[in-house]
Amino acid sequence: MKLNMPTPAATTIGCPLLELRQLGISYGDAASGEQRWVLRDIDLVVREGEFVTVMGSSGAGKSTLLNVVAQTLQPSAGQILFRGTPVGGADMAPNPGSNRQIGYVTQDDNLLPWRTVWDNVMFPLTIAGRPSPAAVEKAHALLKQVGLDRWANHYPHQLSGGMRKRASLARTLVYSPPIVLMDEPFGALDAETRAQLQADLLNLWSTERKTILFVTHDINEAVALGDRIVVLSGTPGRVVLERQIDIARPRDPELIFKAPTFASHYDAIRGCLRGAGHA
Amino acid sequence: MSRVWVDRTALGGVLLLAWEIASRMLGPYWISSPLLVLERMWVMAGNGDLWFHGRFTLAEAFGGFVVGAVPGCVTAMLLRRHPLVRSAFLGIAAIGYAIPKTALVPLFILWLGVGPGAKVALVASAIFFIVFYSTWHGVEAVDNKLLLSARVLGASERQLLRLVVWPSVVPYVFGGLRVAIPYAIAGAIVGEIISSNRGIGYLAQYGAMDFDTTLVFVALVSVMCVVLSVGAVLSLIQRRLLRWQATPSQGKPAPIV
Repeated sequence: MKLNMPTPAATTIGCPLLELRQLGISYGDAASGEQRWVLRDIDLVVREGEFVTVMGSSGAGKSTLLNVVAQTLQPSAGQILFRGTPVGGADMAPNPGSNRQIGYVTQDDNLLPWRTVWDNVMFPLTIAGRPSPAAVEKAHALLKQVGLDRWANHYPHQLSGGMRKRASLARTLVYSPPIVLMDEPFGALDAETRAQLQADLLNLWSTERKTILFVTHDINEAVALGDRIVVLSGTPGRVVLERQIDIARPRDPELIFKAPTFASHYDAIRGCLRGAGHA
Repeated sequence: MSRVWVDRTALGGVLLLAWEIASRMLGPYWISSPLLVLERMWVMAGNGDLWFHGRFTLAEAFGGFVVGAVPGCVTAMLLRRHPLVRSAFLGIAAIGYAIPKTALVPLFILWLGVGPGAKVALVASAIFFIVFYSTWHGVEAVDNKLLLSARVLGASERQLLRLVVWPSVVPYVFGGLRVAIPYAIAGAIVGEIISSNRGIGYLAQYGAMDFDTTLVFVALVSVMCVVLSVGAVLSLIQRRLLRWQATPSQGKPAPIV
């Protein structure tokens, strides 16, 4: 992980960290013929330090894909490899959190309401045993970084949606998972808060050198954040487009539309989503 | 808030006054009077009679409360992970809940004698189902998304139970306990009325046999005081433990980013 540059350009290629091979998810019973595929034949390689955004029309299975990677959902076909080792798949029992390699920021913040912000952020550390002084120090630093150091002793219900999102992000980063999955984390926020959090996320990403798989339905957000965009589409959902985003970093998410190549990326993705929508 | 208390005190005062006037007009034989009750309580508190009888009732109620509430709560928590046992147990529990507990008193007396054991059993049999069902509702209401996210963060099954399930169930347990308090006291008193030679239920029974209406009311008022004060203590504990809950009465505007 440390091999990577803090702000990898689109051309920098790390080793494959996460590999999805022929992944498929279906509901219903295969024997009775009422099997309904949500995702099918998903092949995706996410490299160390890469920021991959996943887009797709609603119902294309974006969230389902993340749930499968986080192992809260069992795939019906295919395999998930982590650093080349199979960790999940159709033939393995799902075991979320087994090796704590994955951080998952869901649409809801999922903070424990009876814990203060600080106790929520410390939660992943305390369940793994007594946290070391260095880990506590890091938690402090993270809380400061997401701007919640003055809110450490408040309960989640006392915070705004944006602040809860930040707390949730700090809780995920505190145990340093190599890869972080994010499912439309800023979807429910107002534009200003969202822009601020996007900028903060890019900062965190460059200092923490994380690999991020980020689901969004917002083309601007996808282009502003990602090294690469993957578009899922159809029923069942398949990968219909993979596109490198060559806009130089550091980027300003709010002004991303001013980048010279923005329009071409936007058109390509929109065309892809639209074509899929009519198909 | 204070306005409510003024109104309550006024209404209570009017009712007591009406009672006193009625007693003056009709004579205290059937309905006693607030002043007579107060006087008798004072005397009985002074000579130790009230405490002598009260402590038996309290001990039976408290004993039955613990013997019923702890297994009720633990059983509901354990059922979460065992679907087969769960459906079987829920069926049996529905039958157990339906049986009127007072009808079991003869059995309890047969098994445990006329001493405090039968009263404890009666109280426990009522409390168990109340606490079991309220805890079970809490277990069913645990937010699945919280469980999944805690799993992804690396929590083991035992940690889930201790750190996610239990804290979300606590408010439900308290709900059950608050409902259970009057039942616990009532169970102890009913047990004493049916057979005993001490306790507040015995006092009430003895008073009625002796046409001593005042004594019956003394028993009633003492029971009322006990239920209200135990309830108040429980609310206090609940409020301290459940500080994290957003209550409208806090009325604090949420901070904004």
